[in-house]
Amino acid sequence: MITAVSPRSRGALALTLWLAAMALGALLIARAQFSADLSAFLPVSPDAQQRVLIEQLQSGVAARTLLLGIEGGSAEQRAQATRTLAASLRESGLFEQVQNGEPGDWEAAGELLFQHRYHLSPAVAPGRFTVEGLRDAIDETLSLLGTPAGSAVKPLLERDPTGETQRIAEALIPANAPRSENGVWVSRSAPRALLLTVTRAAGADLDAQAQAIERAHSAFAPLAAQGLSLQASGAGVFAVQSRAQIEREVKLLAAVGVAAIGGLLMLAFASLRALAVALLPVVTGIVTGVAAVSLSFGSVHGITLGFGSTLIGEAVDYGIYYLMQARPTVGSTPGSGWRRWRDENWPTVRLGLLTSVCGFAALVFSGFPGLAQLGVFSVAGLTGAALATRFVLPVLVPDGASGQGLRRPLGRLGAHAVQALPRLRGLFLLLGLLSAGLLIAQGGQLWRGDLNSLSPVPRAAQELDSMLRADLGANDAGTLVVASGADQETALRAAEAATQRLDALVEQGLIAGYEAPTRLLPSQAAQRARLASLPQAAELRERLARATHDGPLNAERLAPFVDEVQAARERPVLTRASLAGSPLASAVDALLFERPNGGWTALIPLQPGSADVDPARVRQALQHLHGDPSAGEIQVVAVADELNQLYATYLREALTQALLGAVAVVVVLALHLRSGRRLLAVCQPLALAVLLTLGGLALLDVALGILHLVGLLLVVAVGSNYGLFFARLDAEGGIDDDTLASLMLANLTTVVSFGLIALSHIPALSAIGRVVAPGALLALLLAAVFSRMARPRAPVRR
Amino acid sequence: MKQGSAARWVAAIAAACCALPALAFDLAELMAMLQRNQSGEATFVEQRFVKGLDAPLTASGTLSFAAPDRFTRRTLKPREESMVVEGNTVTMSRSGRSRRIALDAAPEMVGLVEAVRSTLTGNGQTLERYFRPDVSGNAERWTLDLVPLEPRFASQVSSVRVGGTRSEVRSIEMQLGDGDHSLMVIEPVRLTTSEPAKPPGAEASRP
Repeated sequence: MITAVSPRSRGALALTLWLAAMALGALLIARAQFSADLSAFLPVSPDAQQRVLIEQLQSGVAARTLLLGIEGGSAEQRAQATRTLAASLRESGLFEQVQNGEPGDWEAAGELLFQHRYHLSPAVAPGRFTVEGLRDAIDETLSLLGTPAGSAVKPLLERDPTGETQRIAEALIPANAPRSENGVWVSRSAPRALLLTVTRAAGADLDAQAQAIERAHSAFAPLAAQGLSLQASGAGVFAVQSRAQIEREVKLLAAVGVAAIGGLLMLAFASLRALAVALLPVVTGIVTGVAAVSLSFGSVHGITLGFGSTLIGEAVDYGIYYLMQARPTVGSTPGSGWRRWRDENWPTVRLGLLTSVCGFAALVFSGFPGLAQLGVFSVAGLTGAALATRFVLPVLVPDGASGQGLRRPLGRLGAHAVQALPRLRGLFLLLGLLSAGLLIAQGGQLWRGDLNSLSPVPRAAQELDSMLRADLGANDAGTLVVASGADQETALRAAEAATQRLDALVEQGLIAGYEAPTRLLPSQAAQRARLASLPQAAELRERLARATHDGPLNAERLAPFVDEVQAARERPVLTRASLAGSPLASAVDALLFERPNGGWTALIPLQPGSADVDPARVRQALQHLHGDPSAGEIQVVAVADELNQLYATYLREALTQALLGAVAVVVVLALHLRSGRRLLAVCQPLALAVLLTLGGLALLDVALGILHLVGLLLVVAVGSNYGLFFARLDAEGGIDDDTLASLMLANLTTVVSFGLIALSHIPALSAIGRVVAPGALLALLLAAVFSRMARPRAPVRR
Repeated sequence: MKQGSAARWVAAIAAACCALPALAFDLAELMAMLQRNQSGEATFVEQRFVKGLDAPLTASGTLSFAAPDRFTRRTLKPREESMVVEGNTVTMSRSGRSRRIALDAAPEMVGLVEAVRSTLTGNGQTLERYFRPDVSGNAERWTLDLVPLEPRFASQVSSVRVGGTRSEVRSIEMQLGDGDHSLMVIEPVRLTTSEPAKPPGAEASRP
């Protein structure tokens, strides 16, 4: 039979293509990079301030900072432990900086600073070496002698009577340094010793971050035996922990989800074969989705993977519809059931797929890679799952599932429900009105979820982090002045111009101080200007004699000063290269770097005074500094504000996209249904389901964010299928038990799988689950409530 | 041993114990006396004897404090400079620049500040935390010797001697680790402002 051979060979072709596609997908996934850092949730085309922020988040010193605390034992034990741990970490080579309050590191650097004091001291200016200037500077130095601070000044008196070393040192001591006891840093609020380390590895290199953290723990192991405990925090710790948590939960959710849904399907079909077939579109969907994301983005974010497990809930519906609806009519040839499904049900599934794809396609064009990944994943995954259902399942099980299982009771229950539910129409409309009222009353308050609500970092870890940061005076979200230029020199000059203005703010008490790379590496211009103000030996000698006349310090003693000033005049200016190998280099590199896209940036973190730094005041103070573009550019970045703004933009963009997606769904439905009344019949329950879900969340005072929005899109995607089935069956004048049973089973699996996700500890996932589980249930319920069917008809018998 | 002689011994020891606090003036008493000052102002003249300099360095200015934790030293001559301590924050101003640091981040600064601030406010607990204090003399004329405990501060300052009469601190002498020493003579500013004037006729209006 020629007609029989053709479908079979087409079946073989479909299977072969499917297997090839799966193999290709598996290959792509095996080669895919998986990431869990924040960068996927940052915009791809940021403005200048956001770019600085992102560079900082990805590779800045904040992303590489590891904060350590040691608790337990006595104060002496802890002090000894931080010395041992610091020595071991310095030796490991994994850390660029290890600070615990010991002077160690700076002693070596001190010599270099002392040698270059006339290059570095901000006090060195033309007036400094006049008779008047010398007298004033020497007087100031003398005012320290005979006091405890004099013990540092006195040994240098003959070489540095003008106190340039003191000036340099003064600027390098931060205003909010940690408490020091027994020569090491300790907490002010708890019996705890502190260490501040900066890893060499980039913050985004999570494997290296994990290695550095592991190193700290292993170095601490012998100390732990004494009853001491080590606490670690920082961006790297959070990222490593989050990655592990996402991996763990995604695996757990997938396993529990598959088990729960498998159990349900077993109950429904009482057949292992049917179970395997129902899961086939799910597997296809996930493989297609992950492969598509990996292909288009180069890497797959952990959250996207987590989202993958949510797709089980929707993709499994396709399998259920097929298995229950592809039954041969009485009297037709066995093996022809799929044709009936293809003719009667596939158009509805296809339309449902199309609306879902429209909804998620809006996300594909998002400026945020994380959201775009979710979009690509959903579109590709759902398409893959639907295609597998359409072309592969008919080959494997042409007549759907044969077993009965729960099918009949479900169908009967459904039939009763369909009869009874329309009576509740008034109640649901009233609830809808109440929800709308509540939403309007909450207004802009509703979408107040911030970036923190996305963070998978548990509260206890966040508290530990803020405690250690408070102890160490290490602000994570402060205000930065950013000076940039085409080259290093321009950036440094811009930074110098900015710090002059900032000094005034320090005087006014608006800020306590600031850190600047120019303190250790001034611009070449500034260094040359300083050297130019150093007088010749003879002249200096003559002026010194006049300046010290009548004073307690004899000019004869200051011969070494005259020699060293001469030596300084000859000494070449400091460059980044001449700092190499000293701890000064890493201190400079933390604040001065070449940008990936060209140009140089110098960072000036501000230290808050008694009140928080007001970025507006700082901006005002720095006004008119950036008139000339060749003189570099100055910006003030308030990190926390910037992040929140970023998220707000992100949310606004996502809301617009979701609305566009919703419009696209309605347009597709309208084009297909070609009837205002039927369009209303499909959209009404869907819109009401979304409204009631939102109302419920508002009632529970949930701060809604982007992932709730993604969840609502999913509700629309899943719910449109229900609506379409009901609309079609309405048009045909009744509903059959099989379709009803398949809808109920599909809904049950969706609610169960999203219900599981709602219990996740990852806020991103639980947000989606908490929206979709009730939303999907409501969508089916409301589809039945607004159904116009008078009474169910008997199973089709044509 | 006979009962009688033992009883006499016990009585004698008990009497001696009771009598001792009355005889020797101790830290607790000194602190209690100083605590009565809730705030104060004084002028000072400080002489610093530094080896290698031709003459002692002299400075003068004002001191003020307010319990529990405010202390200000303002030098007026030869150069204006100031150190304002408030709680754990120290603000130092010299030559038109000021900078703020956390007191407890610099142990050497803690010693310097507490020797004066805790003495002025009668905070014995803090004194004993940073120093080994020793009181001699009597309430009329006492001397408080402070030997620093914190190693970094101790390397700079070998001892501090505070002298005073009753609840007034009159001198602070500091022996530095490198052999230099300083003497600060303090003259309290007696607030001569009279009692707030009573409203006229306040007395007369009494029936």
